[in-house]
Amino acid sequence: MYPDFLKGIRFVDLTWAGAGPFSTKLFSDFGAEIIKVESASRPDPVRVGGPYRDAIPGINRSGYFASRNTGKHSFSVNLKNPRSIETIFELIRHADVVSNNFGPGAMNRLGLGYEAVKAVKPDIIYLAMPMYGENGPLANLTGVGMTISAVTGLMWQTGYEGEGPLGPGTHFPDHAANPYHAAFAVVAALRHRRATGRGLKIDLSQVESTLNCMGLSALEYAATGTEQDRLGNRSAHHAPHNIFRCAGEDNWCAVAVLDDRQWQSLCKVIGASNLAKDRELATAKGRLAQVERVEAAVIRWIADKDATDAMMTLQAKGVPAGVVASSRYLMDEDKQLAYRGYWQKVDHPEIGEARFTSPPYLLDGERVELRRPPLLGEHTDAVLKEILGYTPERIAALRGEGVLE
Amino acid sequence: LSHELGSYCARLFADLGAEVIRVEPPGGRSDRRRPPPLAGAEPTVFGGIPFAFLNVNKKSVTLDATSAAGRAVAKDLIAASQVVIHEPGEGSGLELAEILAVPGRRVVTSVSHFGLTGPYADFVGCDLVAQALGGIAWLSGEPAKPPLRLAGQQSIFVASLYAAAATALALWHSEAQGVSHVLDVSAQEAIAHSLQNAIQVYDLEGRVSSRGGEGVRDATESAFACKDGYVFLAAPLSLSASWSGLLAWFREEKFDGLARLQEPDWADRPTRATAAMKAEFRPLFERFIADKSKAELAAEALKRKIVMAPVSRIADLQLDPQLVFRRFFRKVALPGLGREVAFPGAPYRLSEPLWQIHRAAPRLGEDNESVLGGIAAKQAGR
Repeated sequence: MYPDFLKGIRFVDLTWAGAGPFSTKLFSDFGAEIIKVESASRPDPVRVGGPYRDAIPGINRSGYFASRNTGKHSFSVNLKNPRSIETIFELIRHADVVSNNFGPGAMNRLGLGYEAVKAVKPDIIYLAMPMYGENGPLANLTGVGMTISAVTGLMWQTGYEGEGPLGPGTHFPDHAANPYHAAFAVVAALRHRRATGRGLKIDLSQVESTLNCMGLSALEYAATGTEQDRLGNRSAHHAPHNIFRCAGEDNWCAVAVLDDRQWQSLCKVIGASNLAKDRELATAKGRLAQVERVEAAVIRWIADKDATDAMMTLQAKGVPAGVVASSRYLMDEDKQLAYRGYWQKVDHPEIGEARFTSPPYLLDGERVELRRPPLLGEHTDAVLKEILGYTPERIAALRGEGVLE
Repeated sequence: LSHELGSYCARLFADLGAEVIRVEPPGGRSDRRRPPPLAGAEPTVFGGIPFAFLNVNKKSVTLDATSAAGRAVAKDLIAASQVVIHEPGEGSGLELAEILAVPGRRVVTSVSHFGLTGPYADFVGCDLVAQALGGIAWLSGEPAKPPLRLAGQQSIFVASLYAAAATALALWHSEAQGVSHVLDVSAQEAIAHSLQNAIQVYDLEGRVSSRGGEGVRDATESAFACKDGYVFLAAPLSLSASWSGLLAWFREEKFDGLARLQEPDWADRPTRATAAMKAEFRPLFERFIADKSKAELAAEALKRKIVMAPVSRIADLQLDPQLVFRRFFRKVALPGLGREVAFPGAPYRLSEPLWQIHRAAPRLGEDNESVLGGIAAKQAGR
């Protein structure tokens, strides 16, 4: 299905790179008109970062860009040309939301700060999502997603036991915490406007947003005065609780026992009747005290098993277990994702048919279907004609002046 | 009706003023007993630390849904609701089909580890398993070691954030059009939706991204030991200002490591991502920052536009000068603890004071009287 929940809602979307576009994608997937303001002379960095179809670079060939910009309309202007800002203001008069993820002050320098926009469109919803917030002593610190992991404690706590901090292998906060806190806030603001007639400014500090996702650790420290050390894949409260090597090269399975009943089930599956009978191991506390011995029993059983077989055998007896899935496993082997129709094919003039992740839910029993991402500047003329009523001559003149790219 | 994956979703609504009612069995739902506990507080009544964070601003009522009277009250509550957050696997007492059969227009959101359909629908999940089958653990850690889960129960937050945004959109539509919607949110799918570009790297180029960005991530992108902890640095050629800022800094301090970094192999992106270059850069840079503190390094990063920041310990967070300046943390009185503690503040700031923490997580059945009224509470058979 192509949901039209947001039919009639229009964004002037200046977000680029990772977190911002991933947020506004939700709105295009639900039927809003997202006018993605782009520039050919200074393209969205993910347009010029891979992967590309068949590893051949091209401004319209990036899979990373494609996955963050489904269903959007690309409007390509030269933001350095002051006339382009006039055109953007004309669009803002017809818009509901203006979004950006630039650093502090960048929108003001373009003349597109909140007050200026509000003066033109009093009930605008204005989303800003700079890394560390708009004001303060470190507001101008430059960073990437991993910087956010670093300053929020996520990097500190993620690592192997007894070793240094590693953090997530991705720019993790860019891919859920920040885009989805932002999206939730924008929907809330739309509803607020519907109820009151008033717009809202949303100032999302990506660090503050991500810190809520570290809320359990932050509150543990605040309440107890102790911070959890890095534990690898182990738990301070449960054992066994780890990722175990299986047969073959680089194949792994996660196994966790969260209660005493699951422990008995695990012992039965792995044939460890001596451990099942050991009263010292009957409780989590006892198992944690002998975690090496408990894990050794799992290792003996699982080391020569196929990871998927091990998972299925353990799950059949109610023991939490899961293959450590690579992208290849997820796309080619995972039976659950295949059954639920998670991978959807979207055709694109330059990328061809490619597989995309669906929004991670079924809506009324169906998948939300995706519309293809735009070519750079694909909708520039249509936006000017259909929203602003410009004539072809006027559009040609703007192009001649270097306003449009 | 959530107990793990949907709790933060419901909290996001409660923080903006929605009345969010936890419906619990008389003995409380299991999330109250999730470790670690709050010292000295009876977990069933007050909940532990995860409960205290995830259930701020919510109400609690107790119902014995095994009794006909209790079920009737539960259905009355659903009938009076615009949103139901459901999570399978534990005694809400009401099956999803019964919830959906209650007349009226609303959004029913089910949040589970693997979704309500398919061969894994009945799998037993937890954070570690969700991070494994969702694909994020594979991408984290170091090449010669096992894949690594992320700290802080991230599967809860990822699942809840996707669920909350989709629920909000469905509610927007339900209110405008007078229709009902059902969402079946899968934590596995939510995590697989958040793997940076790993899916497209495999689909378009046939390569499998592996942990630690092996063969892809620049030698400078890592946490490095300094005088009082660690800093994170990223100075790949693609962040040219960061790299040139770093070299200029070395030059100013007459650091003898500079010459090596000006040799041609450091100008080649693929070479810079090899294990050999990583092994060389780490001791070089750690020698340079051995006598510099995290705070000094943050100041240099700001001045020189280098992508570099402290790797904050949890204990550092409340002292972060930026967060202090922005008055980020909020004191919340925790009844179970008998004192105030600092909570992370708003994940986004609105130009009107719509986001608030107005009460701590509820005691078990704290709102029976006000929500159900005296008679219904008795019917529910506490």
